[in-house]
Order: sequence, then structure tokens, then C-alpha cells
Amino acid sequence: MAVIAGRAAALERAAPADEPVGTHSRTRAVVGHLALGTLGVLCAFPIYWLYATSLRAPQDIYSLAPLPWPLSAQSYVDAFRVLDVGGLLLNTTVMAVLIALGQLLTGLLAAYAFAAWEFRGKSLLYLAFVATWLVPFQVTMLPNYVLLSQLGVLNTIAGVVLPSLCTALGVILLRQHVQAFPTELLEAARLDGRGSWSTLWTVVVPNLRPALAALGILLFVNAWNEYFWPALVLQRSNAVLQLGLRSFMGTEGNDWGPMMATAGMACLPVLVLYLVLQRQIVNGFVRSGLK
Amino acid sequence: MKRSLALPAAAAAAALALTACGLGSTAPAAPTASAVARAPELAPGQEVSIVLESYNFGQAGAWSDTFTALLDTFHQQHPTITVTAQKPQGNSSNPANDTVSSVQAQLATGAPPDVAQLGFSDLDFTVNQLGAKPLDDLVGADAVAANYEDGHPFAPKARTLGDYNGKTYGIPFVFSTPVLFYNAGLFRQAGLDPATPPTTWDEVKAAGQRIAQATGKDGAYVDCVTETAKDWCLQSVIRSNGGRVISEDRTRLEFADPPAVEAVTMLQDLVTSGAAPKLTQQQAVEGFARGDLGMILESSALQGTFTKGAQGGGWELRGTGVPAFTGKPVVPTNSGAALFVLSADPAKQRAAWELIRFLTSEEAYVQISSRIGYLPLRTGLVDDPAGLQDWAAKNPLVRTNLQQMDPMEPWVSFPGNDYLQIRDGMMQAVEQVVLQGADPQATLSAAADRQAALLPAGG
Repeated sequence: MAVIAGRAAALERAAPADEPVGTHSRTRAVVGHLALGTLGVLCAFPIYWLYATSLRAPQDIYSLAPLPWPLSAQSYVDAFRVLDVGGLLLNTTVMAVLIALGQLLTGLLAAYAFAAWEFRGKSLLYLAFVATWLVPFQVTMLPNYVLLSQLGVLNTIAGVVLPSLCTALGVILLRQHVQAFPTELLEAARLDGRGSWSTLWTVVVPNLRPALAALGILLFVNAWNEYFWPALVLQRSNAVLQLGLRSFMGTEGNDWGPMMATAGMACLPVLVLYLVLQRQIVNGFVRSGLK
Repeated sequence: MKRSLALPAAAAAAALALTACGLGSTAPAAPTASAVARAPELAPGQEVSIVLESYNFGQAGAWSDTFTALLDTFHQQHPTITVTAQKPQGNSSNPANDTVSSVQAQLATGAPPDVAQLGFSDLDFTVNQLGAKPLDDLVGADAVAANYEDGHPFAPKARTLGDYNGKTYGIPFVFSTPVLFYNAGLFRQAGLDPATPPTTWDEVKAAGQRIAQATGKDGAYVDCVTETAKDWCLQSVIRSNGGRVISEDRTRLEFADPPAVEAVTMLQDLVTSGAAPKLTQQQAVEGFARGDLGMILESSALQGTFTKGAQGGGWELRGTGVPAFTGKPVVPTNSGAALFVLSADPAKQRAAWELIRFLTSEEAYVQISSRIGYLPLRTGLVDDPAGLQDWAAKNPLVRTNLQQMDPMEPWVSFPGNDYLQIRDGMMQAVEQVVLQGADPQATLSAAADRQAALLPAGG
């Protein structure tokens, strides 16, 4: 009995050495949590300040007091009076959904072709796709704008969506996933008499669903936050939220209250999406290697 | 069947990829200044559609609402002319900074706006590169002069602000002169009399130091010393000391000459003596609106922001003119923009002129001044009971601007395609001197030598 107890004690003493360093160091844990907590507060503070400013009374808008008091909804009233917030939300959602779906579809088709088929010039074509990722937006901006003008879709949501329907990011990410797909399954599908198109939709896509969901969310968030391109294309209206926000800034000074109120509302759909689909979003960022 | 579906899908993907990669043609034809033919009067019932581009249209609220109402009235008066209003394209927080690049991009598509509101600092480029049409040729110098005289006449000094080489290209629309806004409450707290604000730079320095010492708040901010501020107000300070940023024939940069260096050294002294804080434009504007700054030399475009801040913070906003260098006359300059005709189509040119006439009419200025607070360039309106007399009585700050219209001189634009680099390079040097303590003569001379190479050959 004593021997067993002695062995147990010895094991207990030995145990920490077998575990990751720092697991049982209380000080390290406290310091670590403090550091992470501080970073968390630093990251969350701008969001807090956004909502705090949106809830200040108009006359207190320049106040630096940490707590907005007395609370006022006037900035939200002003934002709704000046902007068609509902219309902007709808337009922005339509734009972001179309762009995300378009990029997913084109990405899927291209990735499938690159991963599942062998054809001459495949590597070169893939490199060309990757290369488009390296071309700065500013380089393609004006030619794209001229093309949209020739197509007659300037000042429309279609003009914002059209040049964004295809992205190298989607192709590259999905190619990795399709490549990892077991070739035996593709072979089996072919033996079953399925064509390439049918194999894609009945075999590949159902198995890629998690990756597609993660990428879709990532693309939606990117499209939702898009500002530069809509600012070029939509000259005759502030049809999307990001432009609506800018309309509170100008030569006569900035109208911070309604701007923060609109920004707060613009954040909400993405925040809700994040809360509901937290796992997939984190997954999406991890898979893409992006931050 | 399966193959036939796959092919169009592949073709669609290829087409979209090509779209995304931006295969389009650009054929920007650089317009140059030249005489243009007279735009004939519109025939009765002749339908014309024109596009108006204005940076003020980018701002929601009073400006957009007023513009929309004005364009509705215009359409009632000219039912055959349809005007589409748009803001400049671009992503600057201040749409006024996007005006030129926006017109350039649209020129590349062959469809620039027919009427554009462009800054006076861009005048040379607007005429020589953006293809603004000389109104004297388009509708005749008599018609231009008659428009200025129609009803309450335009302020004499305002009439020539859009002129280039003796011809009128732009009709001045909205502008301000520099106004020294001050916080009367902080003046009283510092033992200063708000009824006698500083009139010279020496007095500004003394009052700024006094406010800083007595109240712990900041003294005086001169919003003429950063790249963001552009150079309209700096030109006023330098002109008030007898200098210029560029020679009258616009062939030589003069911002490193003794009068200009002396003026910038004075601005630096305000900072080193503690009379002026080291702030960005945004920080200063918000600090003043919050009641944390005693004085700010600023455009009256921000008067609305200051008035709201004063109401919220419970302090009293007052304003006075540009301070003088002791013993020298003050030379205010103008900020702002004029309306230009860019269209090449005779019918659109005539419709554009009709729109400009309307937007600079008594009727429009009554709306613009009373609803937005801008300076009416038909200055007699402020004494007209049927015009803006009531509004002017309630807004005494407008008097400062009106008084400065007589001694006012134009905000001079730099010449050539590199005019922005010249202007920004000069402002960066001034910022280094005033806010970062660099040596005035050495810094301005080095900048002037560098920027001189950017002047067009032969001026």
C-alpha cells in the first residue's frame, strides 16, 4: 500500500514535467490573461466608442466623457431622417450576397477544372490566376470603370457587382480543397457513368460544403465592407451603406452623431452573422490564412 | 447535354475573369484651352439632359436637400432641360478633394459631366487639361457681364475669380474668406475683452498665450499650415505681409522669398511661444467646437459646426477678420469653387449656361444662404428686406466675410500638370516649419528649389 502511495506521489511530482510548460504556473496564467484581457479591451474600445458616440445627445457629440450620459437616440433619428437606412441595408445585402455567390460559383468552377482535369497549359493558366491577385486594384480600376461605362451600367448596383464576380482568392482556396478530394471518389463517379458536370454537383459540392460555407461568409464580409469601388461607380446616389456613411462628412465638417449611428447599424448584420456562425467564420479565416 | 452545359459555364467564367482583369480600352483625349464656337440658344421645346457634378452634393442633409429643391425649381422654369446631379467619384473623406480626379476619370470614358463645381486652386488645370469652355466665347462676354449685373449685382472682386488669361471660364459659386472665429467665454475667463478681438498677429500671439496660461485651454490655431488645409489661407497670410507664393506672371515660385519666409516664421513663433497648439486640422476644428480652443482662423464653411458646438458647450461664438502684420494692409483671399461648363455639345453647353445662371441667381443665393449658411455673392441681398436682411440680422458673422470682399485677392492656382505636387510640397514644407520646428528659410528654399523643376517650361 505504502509502495503504491509512494509511486502515486512520485507520478504526481513527475507529472508537470510531462505537461506543456506553464500549465500549472499561476503567475504566468494571470499575466497571460491580463495581457489578453488588455488586448481584448483595446480591440473592443473603438466599437464601444462608436456606439457611445451614437448615443450621445447632439450637443455632447464632441464630449470626451467615457460614458454617454444623458443617453439620446437623436443621432439615430437624424440618420433615419437623412438617409433611407432600410433601403441602404437592402441594397448592401443584395450587393454583398451577389458578389459572394458569384465569387463562390466562379471559384468553384475554376477550382474544379484546375484540380480535377489535366489539360495543356494548366499550370500557366493557374499562375495567371494567381498573378491577378498580385495586380493592385488601382491598376485595374480605370479600365474597369471605362468598360462599365461602355456597358452602360455605371451608377447601378450591377456595376458594383459585375467586376467583382470573380476573384483569385476563391479560386486558390477552393483549388486546395478540391485537390484534397480523394481521386478514388471521382473515379468511382466516372465509372458510375456520371459526367464532369454531374460529378461536380452531386459528389464534389456536397463534400465541400463546410469549405464553401466558410469561404462564402468570408467573401460576404469582404463585399459588405467594400467602399472604394462603390464610391467610384455610384456617383448619383449613396446606394450602399458605406457611401451613406460618407455622406455625413464634407466641406462643412463631419456630422459625427448620425455617422456613428449609421456605422453602428452597418456593423450589426455582420456582428449577428458572426455570432450565429462564429465557428464557420473562424474556420474561414484560419483556412484562408487571412486576418 | 452535360457537355453543352459545361461549355457555356466555362465561357461565362472566362468572360467574367476577363471583366475582372479589366480588359477595356482607355482613350483619354487631353483637352486643351482654345476658343470655342458660340452655343446657340435652345429652340422652343428642345429637350436637353445635362449632368451637374458638385462636391456639395456628396454631403447628406442641408446641401443635398437644398440642391434637390433648387434643381426642381430650375426644372419648373426650364421644363425642357433635365439635370442629373452627382457627387465626385472617389474615396476621400472630403468629396471636395476628389473633384479633379473624378472629372479626369470620366473624361477617359468620353463623358465628362456637363457642368462641374471645381476649386479655384484647380483653375489652371481645369482650363488646360479638363477642357473647361470659355464662357465669353460660349455665350458672349456681354451675357456673362449681364448675369453679374442681374438683380443685386455680384461683388466686384468675386467676378474675376474664375477668369484665366482674360477670359471668364468659371462663375464663382460658393466661397469664404478666412475668418478668425473666437470663443468669447474663454476670452472673458482669460481677462480679455471679447468686444475688442485681436486685429494684428502680435495681438493674436499675446491673446493666445494669455488664454493658454489663464485657462489651461489652447490659444489660437491658424488653419493655414497643413497640406490638408491647402494653401488658400496661407496665401492670405503671405499676401498680408507683402509676399506671394508665385510671381504675378506665374513663372517663379516666391514662397521662399523674404516676405513669405517672414510670414511663416511668425506662424512658427505662435507655436514655439505657446500661443498656438500643435494640432491637425481635424483636432483643431473639433477642439474649437468643444470649447477647448480660444481662436481659429478658418473658412466660414465650418461656421455651422462651430455654431452647433457653441450651443452644445454653452459658449459664445464670435468672429473677426484676418489679423494684420503691424502697419501693413490685410489681404484676405478666397476659398471655394466656381461652376464650369465642360460639355462639348452646343445644346448641352447652352443648357449648362442656363443652369449656371440659375444657380448663381438671387433666388438661388437666398436659398443657399438661408438654408446652408453660405456667403451670398450677390452681396446686396443682405440689405434687401425681400432678400436676406432678416437672415443677416440673425447671423452677424456673415458681416466679417462681406467686409473682407473689398480688399480680397484671388486664391492663385499653380500652373502646369504638376500643380498639386507644387502646392502640396509647399504646404509640407510650411507644416515642417510651423508644427515641427524646422528652419524656415532653409526648409522653404529647399522646397522651392525642388518644386521649381515642376513648373511648366516657359511658365
